[in-house]
Amino acid sequence: MEILSNLLQGFGSIAGITPLLIIMVGVALGIMAGAMPGLSPSMGVALLVPFTYTMSPTLALILLVSIYIAANYGGSITAVTINAPGTPASVVTSFDGYPLTQQGKAGIGLGVSLVSSTVGGFIGTLLLIFFSAPLAKVALNFHPAEYFALAIFGLTTVASLGGKNWVKAFIAAMFGLLLNMVGIDPISGVSRFTFGSAELYDGFALIPVLIGLFALSEIFFQLEKGDFNIKAANTIKSQWPSIKDYWKLRWVILRSSILGTVIGIFPGAGATIASFISYDVTKRVSKHPETFGKGAPEGVSAAESANSSSVGGALVPLLTLGIPGSATTAVLIGALMIHDLVPGPRLFINNPEIVYGLFASLLIANVVLLVFGLFGSKLWIKVTTIPKNILFPMIFAISVVGSFAVRYSFFDVISCFAFGVFGWILKRKNYPVAPIILGLVLGNIAETNFRRAVMMGGYNIFFSRPGSLILLIIAAISFAIPFIRSKKVKTNSSEKNS
Amino acid sequence: MKKYVYVFFLILFLLSFGLEAKSSSGDQNNFPNKPIKIIVYTGPGGLIDVTSRKFAEVASHYTDATFVVENKPGAGGIVALKKVLQLSPDGYTLYACTKSNISKFIETGGESYIDEMDWLALLMMDPECVITNQQNNLHTWNAILENARQSQEKQIWVGPATGGLDHVTAMKIWDAYGINEKWVPYSSGGKAIAALLGKQGVAYVGNPREILGNDDLMIAAVCSSERLPQFPDVPTFKELGGQGLENESMWRGFAIKKGVPEEILAWYQDVFKKVTQDESWRNLWEKGGVQVVYYGSDKFSKIIETDVTDFQYYLKKIDIVKGDDSDFLTSLGRGLNLILLIGVSVVILIGLIILLVRLHKKEIIGQVIIIYFFLSLSIIFYIVSFGFPNVGEVGAAVVPRLWIFALIPLNIYLLIRTLRNKDHIERQKGDMHQVLFFIAFLAVYLVAIMFLGYYISTFLFLFLGMYLLGYRKIMSMVIISIMWIIFSYLIFYRLLYVQLPVGSLVEWIF
Repeated sequence: MEILSNLLQGFGSIAGITPLLIIMVGVALGIMAGAMPGLSPSMGVALLVPFTYTMSPTLALILLVSIYIAANYGGSITAVTINAPGTPASVVTSFDGYPLTQQGKAGIGLGVSLVSSTVGGFIGTLLLIFFSAPLAKVALNFHPAEYFALAIFGLTTVASLGGKNWVKAFIAAMFGLLLNMVGIDPISGVSRFTFGSAELYDGFALIPVLIGLFALSEIFFQLEKGDFNIKAANTIKSQWPSIKDYWKLRWVILRSSILGTVIGIFPGAGATIASFISYDVTKRVSKHPETFGKGAPEGVSAAESANSSSVGGALVPLLTLGIPGSATTAVLIGALMIHDLVPGPRLFINNPEIVYGLFASLLIANVVLLVFGLFGSKLWIKVTTIPKNILFPMIFAISVVGSFAVRYSFFDVISCFAFGVFGWILKRKNYPVAPIILGLVLGNIAETNFRRAVMMGGYNIFFSRPGSLILLIIAAISFAIPFIRSKKVKTNSSEKNS
Repeated sequence: MKKYVYVFFLILFLLSFGLEAKSSSGDQNNFPNKPIKIIVYTGPGGLIDVTSRKFAEVASHYTDATFVVENKPGAGGIVALKKVLQLSPDGYTLYACTKSNISKFIETGGESYIDEMDWLALLMMDPECVITNQQNNLHTWNAILENARQSQEKQIWVGPATGGLDHVTAMKIWDAYGINEKWVPYSSGGKAIAALLGKQGVAYVGNPREILGNDDLMIAAVCSSERLPQFPDVPTFKELGGQGLENESMWRGFAIKKGVPEEILAWYQDVFKKVTQDESWRNLWEKGGVQVVYYGSDKFSKIIETDVTDFQYYLKKIDIVKGDDSDFLTSLGRGLNLILLIGVSVVILIGLIILLVRLHKKEIIGQVIIIYFFLSLSIIFYIVSFGFPNVGEVGAAVVPRLWIFALIPLNIYLLIRTLRNKDHIERQKGDMHQVLFFIAFLAVYLVAIMFLGYYISTFLFLFLGMYLLGYRKIMSMVIISIMWIIFSYLIFYRLLYVQLPVGSLVEWIF
């Protein structure tokens, strides 16, 4: 029960007006940073680091983690309302969130994403508080072979994402993986497929590709339909989910949160993979998987609770080992260092008030986020009522700044535009674009760990280590199931017909 | 008439943004009269980022100048350096550099960059060391050495990128003891330490500071001439019989583009000296075993000269710096041949389209073009991959080829289905011309940004865009466009210091 008393002390150390105020400011800024395409959670946190110099270490950390969790939620707002995921992790939220908006049910999408986010964040934090030591052990024993197997497992979600267009979904995923190969090889350091251009040394930045494939291609798609003169359906009176609706999602949220936290602990894997995998799992155990992708609240819920709970997971290696679990926690390490603190197991012993104050503020920040979100949602939903002939030029202007701000490079703006056109062409021929993002995210993890594993133990290592073998078997099964199922459905329906 | 007055003020207003963004390029007499940017070549949170941010904080106590840290990660510093070299040498842009930059420049054939910079000051020397895991049986240097001699080059060392400083240091250590082990690189030092803690390797090469905070980690030996006062129990390699390892260290400092006036350089040297003397600056670094120093341009440049010869030797040794190899397949993916290759594939594409039209299969042309795009991309990438040097057990070409080998059969399968009319597309009703027109309009907008800058062209774009899409309330169109420009100016330029493109035409006029 030492944890509980420490935690109480933690709450004690941040009781007061200033910390609460700081949490509120952090949450508000974080929502903005997340919602703005081009400003990722890690950039949001990094931008605020200089402002924390003069604060005490505890307050500085509180501010930064509030931004972190709120930014993770903020990405879902634009994913639901205009199909422009603000962060890579909220790509999955758009699968069902945006169809809900198109049906005039943006309220459902926003409500579910908010509640799932905050509950997921809360569960992730609790897991972090009570199980950080065993979770850290799991993270440490994860061999490159297992990372590779996890990445392959993540890729198999494409099979069920694609549905009957699975061939095209896999082509898209492979294209994403190949795209990820452009740039300097992370293992040997030679440049690949850069064709002598310095802009390509680091490959394509994820955010511009994301904005292009989602936000821009969606604009083109709707322009083609030509219904941009009409206001969106009367969403202002849109229904909001009731407590009962949320209660129906309890198992989805719980399961996705646990999955999200666990996947979040692996450095590098993080929020995006977590949301893809838990979406996939939720779809598989659902009684009506056919509604997924057409506006299923469970889909939004799975994605959001997973990516929010992964924050708790990403903090495990940071606090227990001093190793960043995500881009954002890498910034937190820097912030700790500036305040003369060294993250790692020692921090629990030397500065327990900081660690437990951080835990307490994570819990409070999630509550604040819920409150802000409930009021804010009434505001975000108005985005769907902006006439499209105003909205579309605005989105493009935002995309230009958003893709430019990532690396301050005009090359990224042009590639964003090019991917917008390319995404539109693909969509017209029924290619899903989300697998490209998955490929881009997974490519590096899959490749570097594959090569590390082989360097360490030859090609056999993937099958001689029980962990990676089990993961690969799960991946194979999860790859095969959609096909077996669709065959069954076919034979069933043909039996019925005859 | 009133309308024209509005338009006039509007133009004035927009131009003022252009001016503001370009403003005050260097009045030498009262340097500095605008914020000084420190360009950092890593993402936020990296050690050089922390160094720069701490420097900005400490320096602000000694001058009135404002320092702003700007992260420009990419290609191990080349992206950031190119950005610095593009700007005029007005003294308002510092480049935060480390010894790793030097190895990157050599690796990518960018040695000439070194001469284009003034290496202002070296502020800290962080000795290199071998870090081990106490939970491992092998955690003293002698045990590792013993094991290395028996394991026949199979001992695993972990660390950051191949060819980086830590890797080169490892190679020097191996040379000093006549061993040669396996270097498994990770994307960052932190992740390599995680691998060390997970017992995936026996040794990690890095800096003493990295063991702080985790009791399982220990320093086996350090590359310095004497024991570090902060770690008195840690032996030096010199004590352990390793020759020539007294002075391996990671340095960090600042550089500036050549051509900055003398007075400004002197101003900087003064700031550097003061920061070096600062209590909180020294404390933060010295605790981690870092030597806080101040070496001015002359000494710094000499150090860099030695580093260059060092890296050249070791990088050639592991084949990163390419020699010229010219077999047929390698040359096929380069230069003129590559353009020829792309040309051929375009010709085939045109032939394919004509064929499909002749066969009255117009409705599948779109699908076939996409499949053909993916197929030719795969083939071109496959050919290019022959040019990758084959370093290590799994070369750089292995994984891209893996994806290519998956991409080709999938596309062939899809092609067959399409030709048999089995790939049913859910067609949507609509007008493609509208989209093509808008795409062309966007392209014009992007070109306009390059000439007129973000603010002016975005104003025009928003206004015209809304008009083209059928919106007709002129007043609200103007207001919305102006509001967005003000918003993006305040948020991005003022708050986030994002320099949105000013435009070459605007730059030329003012």
